[in-house]
Amino acid sequence: MQLGFLVDLHLCMGCKGCEIACKVENEVPLSTWRLRVKYVDVGTFPETKRTFTPLRCNHCENAPCERICPVSALHYLDNGIVNIDKERCIGCAGCVMACPYGAIYIDPQTQTADKCTYCAHRIASSMMPACVVACPVQANIFGDLDDASSNISKYIQTNQGNVQVRKPEKGTNPHHYYVGGGNVSLNPLASHRVDGYSLFNKITTLPVGGHH
Amino acid sequence: MAAHEILAATNAVVTLDVALPGIVWPWFVTMNMWAKSIGTGVIFMLFILLRMHPESANKLRLPTAITAFVFINIFLLFTLADLHQPFRMWHIFFYPHLTSAIAIGSFMASAFLGLLTLLVFLAWKKQDEAFDKVFLWVTILAIPVTLYTAALMAQCTARELWQMPTESAQMILAATVSGSAAMILLGGSKLTYEAKQTLGVVLGLSALMAFIIYMSEYVFGPMKAEEVAFTMEYIKGDGPYTVMFWLGQWMTYIIPMVLVVLSRSSKSEALLKLAALLALVGLFMVKHVWLIIPQLLPMS
Repeated sequence: MQLGFLVDLHLCMGCKGCEIACKVENEVPLSTWRLRVKYVDVGTFPETKRTFTPLRCNHCENAPCERICPVSALHYLDNGIVNIDKERCIGCAGCVMACPYGAIYIDPQTQTADKCTYCAHRIASSMMPACVVACPVQANIFGDLDDASSNISKYIQTNQGNVQVRKPEKGTNPHHYYVGGGNVSLNPLASHRVDGYSLFNKITTLPVGGHH
Repeated sequence: MAAHEILAATNAVVTLDVALPGIVWPWFVTMNMWAKSIGTGVIFMLFILLRMHPESANKLRLPTAITAFVFINIFLLFTLADLHQPFRMWHIFFYPHLTSAIAIGSFMASAFLGLLTLLVFLAWKKQDEAFDKVFLWVTILAIPVTLYTAALMAQCTARELWQMPTESAQMILAATVSGSAAMILLGGSKLTYEAKQTLGVVLGLSALMAFIIYMSEYVFGPMKAEEVAFTMEYIKGDGPYTVMFWLGQWMTYIIPMVLVVLSRSSKSEALLKLAALLALVGLFMVKHVWLIIPQLLPMS
């Protein structure tokens, strides 16, 4: 079994329901996110369009975070999930530096690394991840990539030629796919980032301890 | 910040994304690399001096061992202080993950410190024969100890700027630059003029090679990868780290190279000491800039 995620960006409407569900389910502290939705505005007024891209851990088959972790706090589960043991983590932040997707952060409450685990605790109880349940338009498709009859496998088959992963050149083999993504939504360097040009400018951040 | 893939036609602007995590590895890690360069570098220099100028080097066993011991302890102290959970450091030894450069580096650095402690003891007891036997192994171990940070940086898949071939060369050169500089200052009257000139040659040539590698990356790196091009913008033009980058390059490499040449032509030890001092201070800046700029790259 290799669990994977697929987000159909044609369907996503940026409601952030998945983000909130994730926060509540996993008690993600203020100023940190396991899952978040990025907005990118494209075009020039009045011909403008807003794209929405949910971003979470890609659960790579060849995960740089797992490789760099000195104490195996980041480890693979049999179902392909890259899980984290917060009791084992020493907080070296090597994983934060290694992840090409910016999906890992230092939890300001526990002072350890944290990230999306595809809600591994729910999967263990045969439940879907919280973000999948919360999505009102079923843009999040979750399932077994090894099972040709699973929803995610069928979706990939149906949308062949329009399935992307983030940063394929890194060789991480992400188990997280997008349908309908483009350079603007998936490449962080393809968009301007202007100071003060954000819907929420005053994002509260908590110190993560020490001199960091 | 320029990025060549932003098309005017798309006029794409990120209007909502959470803030970058900021600097994850701060100046503590710079201090780690700087102190480790000195701690291993003086070992390399004593090894050279014992073979080329034994009459001078004989008096430097104890000062060198103590210097290496102190700087390796500084390196380990800052490594520990940089952890968010420093009291779990023991996990590395009880739950090691052997694909991690951090784990392997911790083992090697610990063994290195143990051997340095033995060296200090042997030098203090003036057991030169035993010292030299242990010292050979310490010198060999100093190579991977100084290199492992390059492996760690290379394992950071997100930071395209850090590639193992260049970083490993830079780590060794940082050790020879700082080691020769520290030894010039440490040697004082114990070193003969010829021994100091040998150290000057090591300093000058190491500075030249390191400078060439940095300039090669500065000019040609952006031609290979979009992320490197973006990262380099932080040290070009009005970039936030442009001044620190060039100050570091001048203080660590360019001025010391010139001073080493001048010291040879004028037989001035004062110029050599000035070169050594500048290189030691400048190296911290060079390392810091190279550590910080890839961390400013947007990941999402």
